Amino acid sequence: MSIDTHDQHVAHEGHHESPEVVDGRQRLAVWLFIGGDFVTLSALLFAYLYLRGVNTDGHWMNMLGYQGHTFGWYENLAGSAAGLPAPTLIHVHPLAAGFNWLVTLVTVISAGVVWLGERGLRATKNAKSYSAMAWLATAVVAVAIVLTIIQLRHIPQIFVAKNDSHVMAYTTYSSAMLVLIGSALVHLLLLVFLGLGLAIRSARGVISGEKWHQARLVRIFWVWVALSAVVISAVTTTVNTIH
Amino acid sequence: MTTTLEHSAPKVTSKAGGLARHQNFGTALIGGVLVAWLAWFIARRVCDPTGSGYSDLTAIWLGIGWTVGFWIGIGAFNGPLRWIAGRDHTRADDLYYAGEGQGRARYWKYTTDHKVVGVQYIVMTMVLLGVGGTLAMAIRTNLIAPGNHFVNQQVYNGFIAVHGMLMILALIVAVAGPWANFVMPIMCGARDMAFPRLNALSFWTLVAAAGLLLTTLAVGSLDSGWVVLAPITNQVGVAMDFFALAIVVFTVSTTVAGVNTIATILTMRTKGMTLERLPIFVWGSMIAAALGLYAFPYFLLVESLQILDRTVFTSFFVATGGGTGWLQANLFWLMGHPEVYVILIPAVAALFEIASVMSRKPVFSYRTAIAGMVGLAGLSILVWAHHMFTTGWAPTLGGPFMLTTEIISIPTGVFFLVLIGTLWRGNIWMKLPTVWMFGFIANFIIAGITGIYLSDIPIDNQLHGTMFVTAHFHYVFVGSVLFGAIAALAFWFPKVTGRFLNEFQGRISFWLTFVGVQVTFLAMFLSGLKGMPRRISSYSILFEHTNLISTIGAYTIMSGMLVLLGAIITSWRHGDPSGPNPWHANSLEWMVSTPPPLENFDVLPVITEDPYTYREELVRS
Repeated sequence: MSIDTHDQHVAHEGHHESPEVVDGRQRLAVWLFIGGDFVTLSALLFAYLYLRGVNTDGHWMNMLGYQGHTFGWYENLAGSAAGLPAPTLIHVHPLAAGFNWLVTLVTVISAGVVWLGERGLRATKNAKSYSAMAWLATAVVAVAIVLTIIQLRHIPQIFVAKNDSHVMAYTTYSSAMLVLIGSALVHLLLLVFLGLGLAIRSARGVISGEKWHQARLVRIFWVWVALSAVVISAVTTTVNTIH
Repeated sequence: MTTTLEHSAPKVTSKAGGLARHQNFGTALIGGVLVAWLAWFIARRVCDPTGSGYSDLTAIWLGIGWTVGFWIGIGAFNGPLRWIAGRDHTRADDLYYAGEGQGRARYWKYTTDHKVVGVQYIVMTMVLLGVGGTLAMAIRTNLIAPGNHFVNQQVYNGFIAVHGMLMILALIVAVAGPWANFVMPIMCGARDMAFPRLNALSFWTLVAAAGLLLTTLAVGSLDSGWVVLAPITNQVGVAMDFFALAIVVFTVSTTVAGVNTIATILTMRTKGMTLERLPIFVWGSMIAAALGLYAFPYFLLVESLQILDRTVFTSFFVATGGGTGWLQANLFWLMGHPEVYVILIPAVAALFEIASVMSRKPVFSYRTAIAGMVGLAGLSILVWAHHMFTTGWAPTLGGPFMLTTEIISIPTGVFFLVLIGTLWRGNIWMKLPTVWMFGFIANFIIAGITGIYLSDIPIDNQLHGTMFVTAHFHYVFVGSVLFGAIAALAFWFPKVTGRFLNEFQGRISFWLTFVGVQVTFLAMFLSGLKGMPRRISSYSILFEHTNLISTIGAYTIMSGMLVLLGAIITSWRHGDPSGPNPWHANSLEWMVSTPPPLENFDVLPVITEDPYTYREELVRS
């Protein structure tokens, strides 16, 4: 390999890199992380559709057990002299599509706020406005988190006997929804972290009209999260029951 | 070109680094134990009403606590917290994190210098291989005679599982860990990895994962094999939880490392270092990293779902709840087969490098070599179901999967073509790296050919689940990848230490290991052909002789590895000085001083030709 160590242009660069160079590298990394996330999301949806397709013993939305009371209530009944009655086949219903889309909508709105904020920052160079937009987007995501937790709590559980004890178990549909919604929650928590970072950093002047690259980086990931929420909602609200 | 580039870096100030000045491996251990205890204490009250303290959920929280505490203790959260607070690192902070002026202490810290991380990976790989190898010796000792009970059956099963996964993890990082960190950025003409802190994160996350994996040995037996498929895992206690969580944490490490590797190669190359001038090892690192980015999310998912099934009673893999073990098998092998090539490709790429330098010839058909690696990576994602031929899953897909598996032998054959083509009529320098490379070629032929047998469904139906399969993949991992990893170690050892790896001890090690591999695994093929099942602790007298021979072979391998360990330790301190470019190679890592300075180059070089153009005056007679 032939090398030339006396190139004047290179020598002047020293050890410092321009923000554009660093930004290009960071953008590539964000896209690569999104690529990994895409594989994970695809695998999750594959699991969801596969379980629905296989529908082992018709248990996609059905399970032998008890439903309607708390775990403690059933435990007390099991421990009483009467004991538990014979288990029945419990059918669970799909989660409310409207609520699912509401959470998605809120997530999409938060992405829109971040996107608009970034456009405003680049156009007006007003970091304080951007900081306000970042706070707003974070607050919207916080709302999405609360809604997601409500959604998680509505995933139906069934009281079943398992290995000489009793547990609250999930049908495969509920299991898949639990992990899909749980995955969305993890992403939303990450957005809160990023949103707080954007808000604080822009308030401190680290992100500004001239140094807006990190705002774009975060926006790319934010939009990806919103997009994945749309895809999950589209799949799980249109393909769920078995007729 | 033999120019040595000098370097002068600014000194760090006394307050640089902040909290990191007080953080190291010791604080990481303390943090891990404390937070693990806290998580266990809380989880026991909230999630474990029975009060036994050892429910699956409690174990998972304990494991999460360990990981988070370890990260806090080592300093992994310092950067993100400073980012969110808008207090970015100064240049002095960066230099402190890079280990400037900290001597050997930097090897125990969250150091970002890629060369330090490379050395950390070398040591970590040896530790993992050492523990995994010790378990292998316990397994082979148990199998020395029928009915032998060196360890009881449950412990034996646990050793099988942990040995398997530990060795897989060790080999995933055996070449890519040390050398895609230590030499790859220099080969590209970069001052460091693209994201130095992520680099440190990937290494220390691996340490945290290893801690979780080794915990499985202490908390009961993991009698489910290393693939840990349901429903057999239902019989396993909390060891399974630590095992699954170790994998989840490990995938974080590999994902971060993969992103960093690709970003470094695509965005940090110096002027003139076009993709066509990239050293072939850099290509191998990039392709393996990309394949890992595709494969490891499946690993993350399958073990996460396993954890959920065990802790909150979802039904992904539980047939009575509507789940199916086939889902788990598919997700596992969607990761499992590409993972073989994540392990193999960097080793082969390192051997291409060694073959070129040691024969004073360019890499034969450079573009074909790259196409072979890309083709192998691409095909590897289409062959996963050959691991499931005997499970009954989708029999109609058996033919297509048999075909794709047999087609994959074409890019694998390209590897031989490139290696042999490079060496052909070359002026071969038979030094230690070359010797181990020839060992690789011999073993990889056996590994590859037996793989073709196993890809045929009728033969697989007979041999699946027998020791034949075990022997096949040990020829891949021990005979091929380990030999490639040792060749790479012998090749780049002088760049790390400034000293040669002891040639005499290295050759003794080579012959012991090479002979040991043939004795162990050829006999194991015979055991398999006679019908001996895998993963059993006691066997029929029918398999007595071949097992005795395998165990003798295994002890021979162990002797070879101990000699190699001795050679590494003594050579690191007392080996013959090598100078900056002992092999008269042309790639950039040999142009910098030895050991390379912090940030590698004072002035970034400009590349004007490829690294395999050997000039007449440098060709050895």
